[in-house]
Amino acid sequence: MKLSREEVNDIALESRLLLTEKELDGAVKYINNFLDILDSFKELDLTNVEPFSFAEALECPLREDKVNAFTNTQGIFNESEHVDGSYFKVPRIMED
Amino acid sequence: MSELTFTPVIGIEIHIRLKTDTKIFCACSTDTDAPANTNICPVCMGLPGSLPRLNHNVVEKGMLAGMALHCTVQPRSLFFRKSYFYPDLPKGHQISQCDLPVVADGYIEVHDAEGKLKKIRVNHLHLEEDAAAMHHSASDGRLEGASTSYVDYNRAGMPLGEIVSEPDISSSAEAVEYAMNLQRRVRYAGASDADLDKGMMRFDANVSLKCSDGRWGRKVEVKNMNSFRALERAIEFEIKRQKKILQSGGEVLQETRHWNDAKGVTTASRVKEFYRKFIVEPDLPPLIVNQEWIDRVTAMMPEMPDVRANRYVHDMGLTQEAADILTDDKNTADYFEACVKAGANPVRAANWVRTEVLRVLNEMQKKISEFSIKPEVLAEIVRRVDDRKLSTTQAKEVFDYMCANDSGLDDAVKKLGITEGGVAGNALVEIIANVIKANPDVLAEIQSGKDTKGKKFKFLQGLVMKESKGQAKPQEVVEALTAALKQ
Amino acid sequence: MELYELDLYEASKGIKDKKFSPKELFESCKKRIDSCEDKIHAFITRTDGTAPVTENPNGIFAGVPTVLKDNLCTNGIRTTAASKILGNWKPPYDATAWKYLREAGAVLMGKVNMDEFAMGNTCGNSAFGPTHNPNDISRVPGGSSGGSAAAVSAGYVPFSLGSDTGGSIRQPASYCGVYGMKPTYGMVSRYGLISYGSSLDQIGPFARTIRDLQLVMSVLAQYDPMDSSCFREKNPDFTHNEDASIKGKRIALVKEFQNFTLDAPIAEAMKKTQKVLENNGAVITEVSLPVVSKYAVACYYALAMSEAHTNLERYDGVRYGYTVNDAAGIKEMFERVRSYGFGSEVKSRIIAGTCLTEPSRCDEYYVAATKVRTLIAQEFIRAFGECDFILQPVTPSLPHKIGEEDEDAMKGYETDLYTLPVNLAGLPGLSFFTGYDDATKLPVGLQLIGPRWSDSEILNAGMILERHLGSPKIANGGVK
Ligand SMILES: [Zn+2]
Repeated sequence: MKLSREEVNDIALESRLLLTEKELDGAVKYINNFLDILDSFKELDLTNVEPFSFAEALECPLREDKVNAFTNTQGIFNESEHVDGSYFKVPRIMED
Repeated sequence: MSELTFTPVIGIEIHIRLKTDTKIFCACSTDTDAPANTNICPVCMGLPGSLPRLNHNVVEKGMLAGMALHCTVQPRSLFFRKSYFYPDLPKGHQISQCDLPVVADGYIEVHDAEGKLKKIRVNHLHLEEDAAAMHHSASDGRLEGASTSYVDYNRAGMPLGEIVSEPDISSSAEAVEYAMNLQRRVRYAGASDADLDKGMMRFDANVSLKCSDGRWGRKVEVKNMNSFRALERAIEFEIKRQKKILQSGGEVLQETRHWNDAKGVTTASRVKEFYRKFIVEPDLPPLIVNQEWIDRVTAMMPEMPDVRANRYVHDMGLTQEAADILTDDKNTADYFEACVKAGANPVRAANWVRTEVLRVLNEMQKKISEFSIKPEVLAEIVRRVDDRKLSTTQAKEVFDYMCANDSGLDDAVKKLGITEGGVAGNALVEIIANVIKANPDVLAEIQSGKDTKGKKFKFLQGLVMKESKGQAKPQEVVEALTAALKQ
Repeated sequence: MELYELDLYEASKGIKDKKFSPKELFESCKKRIDSCEDKIHAFITRTDGTAPVTENPNGIFAGVPTVLKDNLCTNGIRTTAASKILGNWKPPYDATAWKYLREAGAVLMGKVNMDEFAMGNTCGNSAFGPTHNPNDISRVPGGSSGGSAAAVSAGYVPFSLGSDTGGSIRQPASYCGVYGMKPTYGMVSRYGLISYGSSLDQIGPFARTIRDLQLVMSVLAQYDPMDSSCFREKNPDFTHNEDASIKGKRIALVKEFQNFTLDAPIAEAMKKTQKVLENNGAVITEVSLPVVSKYAVACYYALAMSEAHTNLERYDGVRYGYTVNDAAGIKEMFERVRSYGFGSEVKSRIIAGTCLTEPSRCDEYYVAATKVRTLIAQEFIRAFGECDFILQPVTPSLPHKIGEEDEDAMKGYETDLYTLPVNLAGLPGLSFFTGYDDATKLPVGLQLIGPRWSDSEILNAGMILERHLGSPKIANGGVK
């Protein structure tokens, strides 16, 4: 096992996930299985291989700097339960 | 045992807001005066399904800023996702160029402790999006004790350039000079307004100490400085704090600390440092900048302040001090050069701009771009003094009158009763009054009728002519003096 | 014959020729849905309460009903990605793909089921319960676009949209007995598609004929400035051409795949299809894909999860979706929202993705995977120097019974070997119908893949296959 229960649980917390015992069991098995499979990469010589990009040498298209205001901002506000006046309200950030 | 000495090793990260009309990845306005949460859309709110679209002008302003810091444009750069959970970050990650920036390898010059020029290397400038603004207070204005924070997403997605220096800085003074110089240069380039009051320029500093006994303190990252003064104080505080630890044989921890401006201290961030994991932003292909674009932006680059100041000293005969003052702000320098171009003597134009113009602007709390006296008009005033059409005193009176009344040059001259080529009207009357006042015995002689040959009158006339620096017409002096003596 | 039985081409022609009204077609489809939906459960949200009015009476889809996978944003209409975390989210904007269909006159019957955030291949991993295969309601329809495939198979609508990250269009198309097209990456705008693995995701159509796929592709394949990975220069021609030929085309089998076992009906379908291709003048050859066959699965999951976990970081309950109102602090709020909102499979993939991209492991796993992906793409480029298309299964077996999922989750991943390399290399892939298995009466599908931008040629080859292998029938949908 590459990752212990505690390590997996730490990663879960880092992802803001609280796991049930059963979920943690599943995740531990899932990730360790997965890391074993990924070990197969070591069989390949990747030293001179570039990270993937599409063969057509795709370039980032650039947008003209022109304001085009989104008209349905009300549609955005409607979806949040945390709207207070013109702000979005969240619990105060508490440092732990 | 010899005394231990410590050398500060400081690197600075500066965020500047790039000057564009729209945000970096969406077409929302960058207007900082807009009411909260009005400049928002699916992209900058991180709504599911939305995708980023890179703003052409952000790249261009990034290139300009980089060039202003002697950086080289990189033909290929990339965006990454930098993850952390915080309500100011709508997607839970920030799109940033991090390791593969659009410009790299530059420098800024500062003066070291001995006053010698020293290069602070700029590692790179990378493009990234700003986070939303958080207000940790109630929306009704209540401050402390609020149990909630308020988020304004207008700032989310504002375009930033993060400028990362090498750890070449050795003191808080160098740090401040570096930052001020950087501010001046990116403003010159038109890349950023870098207005500290509007949060358009923010500082983080990495501070560590090298001890003469060979020990190296760990790097401490100090965040949350929003003014030059805060930058200076935070670095000084941190140097002192670390020195104390090292002197007592302790160990400086590698950590992130926050500058508390009100208390004047740095405090350890209690939040565990975020995992810095980056994956390539799959929604944005590589940013390619071709030579043609680089050439175009290079051509857009204005002369930088140091080069300009040099030219003023060597070609125009200004002092270094005057040249530095004039080039501090690009618009001031442009104004000065327009005066010279309109025919004003450079040295005298420089004196006028740095004393009178800057004084008046300061009094009126105005920018030079809003100044009512155009450079061509100031040049005309300077010329008239040179041609002895106006005395220096008159010219300043005229200048003040024009500033106060928003009037034209000829209008002001007329209103002040100055006739072409001389002291006249009220000014003359005033001189005469002063002369008489200073010579009561002469006055008494004339009034008692003793001055039959008019010698005493001639004496007063001579004094008046002298006082007016020869700018009064003799006939007018005779008339005005005669009238004054009759009173 | 009922109107709902018409395919897209016929339905659209019938409306244009005024043989029937859009409303009649709508009512017929609605009736069909009403009669089968209890058994199939394809919908998450129905929008067929009243007959929608077509936005473009002259468009090529004027008045033709359709459904969308529930990860495509629809303005003002609930979009869930089959996750509790989106709650009753109503997007304030339309996905570009849906906008294009709308503007061509299509009308929406609803949003259909999928695996949560497209993570899964059964359509059983949904917060709204499983969808059933209309050919045999005890079996899975495949996934993740199971609802889209089932809706077309059961005759709810003549065509639908799904998304394919590692086989999510092709596998359910095969399981449900319809045609499904995964276009070249960059052909169809992803704007408004709720991301899973952004560099792998692609939207595509389901239909009951190849001609219908061509019609839908002709509308979908338009440049969209809102998606920076969308290609501007490509102008594919999807015009239906009865005279298209595959004479002289080299169609390859993958050497390494020959060692893997296939269920008998699928092995038979492979033989039958090769014969049809040869009879039509194609040449059957062989290509070797050693890296693909050995490393594609690991590479795919490493990249999909790395991208997925960052795509899912935005779900925090502040701006939309499921939320809590009584959290003491922001960390608690995020934890409670995400722990309740995401299903177990999604959580596992988030944790895996987070794990792979942490500084200590990033080079070993994530960066290595991006390099392996380069090798895979290069291998396909080499292979397509030696052949025009590759013929291969979609899956090694026919759809299994609902609830009979493999205990070993990783084994499930291996069944994706035939579909996910296509996404890694950004290739187009067509899942086509070959006939029904005699024993189970289940449809059997296979896959034709080609080099990037060969989408229209693949569909031309598909048309010839359809002519000789026959088109699928509408499944009984659990109704006698
Ligand atoms: Zn926006």
